[in-house]
Amino acid sequence: MKPAAFLYAAPETVEETLALLAEHGADGKLLAGGQSLMPLLNMRLARPAVLIDLNHVSALDYISASNGEVRIGAMTRQRMAEQSSMIASRLPLMAEALRWVGHPQIRNRGTIGGSLAHADPSAELPAVAAALGATFVVTGQAGSRLLSPGEFFVGYLATAIQPTEVLTEVRFPQIAAEAGCAFLEVARRHGDFALVGAAAVVHPAGGGRFRDVRLAFIGVGPAPVRITEAEAALEGQEFDEPLLDDVARLVSDRLDPESDIQASAAYRKHVAGVLARRALRAAAARAGGSR
Amino acid sequence: MDPNPLIGERLRRKEDPRLLRGQGHYLPDLTLPGMLQLAFVRSPHAHAAIRRIDTSKARSGPGVEGVFTAADLSMRPIEPEFTGENYHGAGWPALASDRVRFVGEPVVAVAARDRYLAEDAADLVEVEYDPLPVVASVEAATRARAQLVHDAVPGNSFFRRDHVQGDVEGGFAKASLIVTGTFRHQRLAGVPMEGRGIAAGRDRHGRLTVWASTQTPHMVRTGLARSLDLPESAIRVIAPDVGGGFGPKMHLYPEDVVVCAVARALNRPVKWIEDRRENLLAMTQAREQVIEAAAAADRDGRILALRASVACDTGAYSVYPLTAILEPMGTAQIMPGPYRIPAYAYTTTAIATNKCPIGAYRGVGMAVGVLVMERLMDKVAAATGLDPADVRRSNFIGPNEFPYTAATGLIYDSGRFADTLTAALAAFDYPAARREQAERRAEGRVVGIGIASFMEYTGMGSKTFSRRGMTDVPGYDSATVKVDPNGGVRVFVSCPSQGQGHETVFAQLVAGELGVDPATVFVGPVDTDAAPAGSGTFGSRAVVAGGGALVQAAVKVRERATSIAAHLLEASAGDVVLVEGRFAVRGSPERGVTWTEVARAAHAQAAAGLTAGVEPGLEASNTYDPPPATFSNGAHAAMLEVDRETGQVAFLKYVIAEDCGPQLNPMIVEGQTHGGLAQGIGEALLEEIIHDEAGQTLTATFMDYLIPTAMEMPGVEIVHLETASPNTVRGFKGIGESATIGAPACIANAVSDALGRDVDALPMTPARIVHWLRGRVSAVEVKA
Amino acid sequence: MTTKPRAPAAERTVAFAVNGRRHEITVPVRRTLADALRDDLGLTGTHLGCEHGVCGTCTILLDGQAVRSCLMLAVQADGHEIKTVEGLADGDTLHPIQEAFWETHGLQCGFCTPGFLMTIEAFLKENPRPTEDEIREALAGNLCRCTGYVNIIKAVALAAEKLRA
Repeated sequence: MKPAAFLYAAPETVEETLALLAEHGADGKLLAGGQSLMPLLNMRLARPAVLIDLNHVSALDYISASNGEVRIGAMTRQRMAEQSSMIASRLPLMAEALRWVGHPQIRNRGTIGGSLAHADPSAELPAVAAALGATFVVTGQAGSRLLSPGEFFVGYLATAIQPTEVLTEVRFPQIAAEAGCAFLEVARRHGDFALVGAAAVVHPAGGGRFRDVRLAFIGVGPAPVRITEAEAALEGQEFDEPLLDDVARLVSDRLDPESDIQASAAYRKHVAGVLARRALRAAAARAGGSR
Repeated sequence: MDPNPLIGERLRRKEDPRLLRGQGHYLPDLTLPGMLQLAFVRSPHAHAAIRRIDTSKARSGPGVEGVFTAADLSMRPIEPEFTGENYHGAGWPALASDRVRFVGEPVVAVAARDRYLAEDAADLVEVEYDPLPVVASVEAATRARAQLVHDAVPGNSFFRRDHVQGDVEGGFAKASLIVTGTFRHQRLAGVPMEGRGIAAGRDRHGRLTVWASTQTPHMVRTGLARSLDLPESAIRVIAPDVGGGFGPKMHLYPEDVVVCAVARALNRPVKWIEDRRENLLAMTQAREQVIEAAAAADRDGRILALRASVACDTGAYSVYPLTAILEPMGTAQIMPGPYRIPAYAYTTTAIATNKCPIGAYRGVGMAVGVLVMERLMDKVAAATGLDPADVRRSNFIGPNEFPYTAATGLIYDSGRFADTLTAALAAFDYPAARREQAERRAEGRVVGIGIASFMEYTGMGSKTFSRRGMTDVPGYDSATVKVDPNGGVRVFVSCPSQGQGHETVFAQLVAGELGVDPATVFVGPVDTDAAPAGSGTFGSRAVVAGGGALVQAAVKVRERATSIAAHLLEASAGDVVLVEGRFAVRGSPERGVTWTEVARAAHAQAAAGLTAGVEPGLEASNTYDPPPATFSNGAHAAMLEVDRETGQVAFLKYVIAEDCGPQLNPMIVEGQTHGGLAQGIGEALLEEIIHDEAGQTLTATFMDYLIPTAMEMPGVEIVHLETASPNTVRGFKGIGESATIGAPACIANAVSDALGRDVDALPMTPARIVHWLRGRVSAVEVKA
Repeated sequence: MTTKPRAPAAERTVAFAVNGRRHEITVPVRRTLADALRDDLGLTGTHLGCEHGVCGTCTILLDGQAVRSCLMLAVQADGHEIKTVEGLADGDTLHPIQEAFWETHGLQCGFCTPGFLMTIEAFLKENPRPTEDEIREALAGNLCRCTGYVNIIKAVALAAEKLRA
């Protein structure tokens, strides 16, 4: 289990990266943290002619906040984000989701941008991006494009990034201090890709009611799924059990996952409803506090 | 026999400092000048005729030194001998020549300067196949006019045995109740953390030296000699540090033969290291059975008769040296277990399919047989309303009934089965656990308690293998003890370690017999040129068989040393006693000589004035053929909670009582028990090798084949009982497989108890559990 | 640090420190770091258990952080500090984590052990007083087929105690 031969380039800037992509794009492959790509290379399931290593592009390694947004450079290590106080206070949903990503050894190398660009339908970060309505900054030689999650994730392991482009930054709207959020998943073992995962964000609307509810799922479709109908049903409501049961049913009904060796489609539909209920309950319980 | 003061000591392991420093020497660490690495081109089809192989592009690849098809090397198929009836074997070709029979079967071997280049060249080999119909299950393989996996195996039946003992019909006729089940056990993989590996090269005498990550160096030598058509004296097999075995490393594989043949053809050392994908495709797999079983009982839950029909999907070939009968016979034979069952009828079959061959894996046969029997016991309990523990108690063979001839024909040597269960339930605090369960259930939680009692054959001797017809397995093991002139001791035993700590326990055992410090005892690696012949390490036999041989060899050495000491002390041998490492005259402890003085005298006979005619030196070899089997036993108890909505299982409590006779080193016994439990939990809840109908393996990575991590492993309390075997040296029994045998049954009983329905299929995945639970939820409304 | 040629290349010369010793090697760019450590530097204490990043057997420290060396290319180690199992003991004296493994019977075949030791080395630096749950979670990225983890968990607790002393 050894990689097939390739050429290797290690650009130090985005410009150099784009120049390499312009030259080798179709046969080239970007290497970020390598925690998904390296296994594919070792198994010879990926056979790029040129591997373009982003790990020396230091300009893509940052976490900053401005205008109610947290901007994360694509090459920021997941472990760095997990331990960042800025992420903990402004994007607690991401901090919680990151703890489900593989294991510490994976997060030490794995990057925020790499995971999102790999677009595994069971990976955790796409759910965070979908729930929060992140903006993806995709850069080519002609400049940058800003994409919504719906535009960015186009299918199974597929994004809108063109062969001559690179994901440079992801912008997450800051989560209000009074909001509550929760990330839950069911996996066969801790650290495995989720069979089903759910991210929930709720904002207190007074009187035990909630507004601006976000609900996103992974493992139940080719890309992360947000169920706006469920969100609408919860808007301005008190989260009592009958409502949560309705939402769980609605979620199960709306999803159309596929079966695989680890879990049937029916199981995934069912558990998505269960996790919707649990994540909403947990998010509601956490709402209104101060972080 | 004098007591051995070191039996029962928790000696720290001698091998650990080396392994902890990263100075272990495993097969992948071996390099020799000019060594080449092999990569294999493997079949992508489960069943196909090979139409054409073109290796021309591969041959001209960079760093490539040779590309070999079956036609390029002279290799006989691997074929175990079997002398029983109703058996149709078929050789396993070292490289497939005309037909491939499972996905992953080796077709072409490429030798290159390194593994990267070898894989590059393997990619360039072109093989054209004509796909044939695939039989990928027992059902498909046993249909009328099913495609044959081997033309010489009619009906795809490698083996069938029908057995009846006692009045089975009568037992069922007079029964107050009959419980039944169809039990489905999945296919497993042993997955030692180090995969297989083998290296071979000619030495300057032209002999072939083979380093193999194996449990059975001597049987590998025999098998290689047969496939390569060489005398055994022309082959030397050495087992280096081995990174786990668990059964699959006791077989001889096609790749082993090819590595040796290529090394001979190129006259260069050659190494092949199995990668994880190859490991999950082509290392022998385990279990995969469907069993129909029924037990007849009276109204007090006493079993009157047992019936079972076992069908094992044994894959494409019958493996060397144990054949395809190992798993299905093991299941049928162990099923009555520790219970007094007067009548038993079984049919057991090994069915050929287009899948990876089935071989040995920790608990082989027995884990499935115990699952069936223990589920039946719980069904009897449910049918009678008796407590599951009481049903078992009323069926146990009593401690005074040994030797006990079971309805299988097996003769049990010893055991206190009721005591073992009682000890487990006492540690578990069974009444308190039942109360806790009731409380949690009242809160709407899904909590189950399971128990399982079992026994297992361990340390089998030659009679067992010859009675089964497995004539390639010697059944005995051997040891040599050498005392050097300065008193140091070297020991060679035919059973290598794959992590069981033989360097420690064999040193401990011999040091105790000789009265020396274990630190002065060196236990050599198993090298067929140095270690005496034997069977190897499998079937929980190393301490029983190898240890037995070692004790007997040590006693011989001690007796000789005593007579030499007597000469030096001018006393009669009968008056010389060995006390704290010193030979002294009884009653005059000041008149004594040390081991070093005795050893020196033994090696310098003339100087010491020893009688002419006494054999010089101080060493002894001994071969020990253990009794047909000695039986260990155990009981497991578990409490677990099922997440009603997600089907996830969490353990609340786990207790194991085990009785493996006298524990040589309890620390290692516990380690074996922990590891065995983890594998049993994997078997019950996580692990499954899955093939589709076309015979494609869907679980060829560690992302798909899920073994337990530290998060899935519960805390466990272990209780020891020590019922010595009357038949083995020092009363030893085996422990290696025990916990793996008991755990799946215990956990299946606990999940069944939690769900309130029979669970007779493994693995119990979250998706299946939800399916089972929702089946029940629809009938009985349960509020979340 | 050697210069990083930006033009695609099939072979590169890289320099990095392993266990405090500087190495400069020329490697095909596709060679994994694990293979370079084992085959180019002869540091065979780092083992390969799956080569697809699941089992953790090949875990090493890269600038003090535990990473899977099968999921890095040797060229990516350029300019970094690496620690492997061979760098744990201080001469004849075992590292407290190694001592703890020895005392608690935390290893059997020993094949996965180097990866565990390196994971634990990084973990206990970050969390010197771990709870049992934290220990289990920290170990979950390393597979062991022999021990059932029971004694490894004990070893980590004991090592933490030794390191605090």
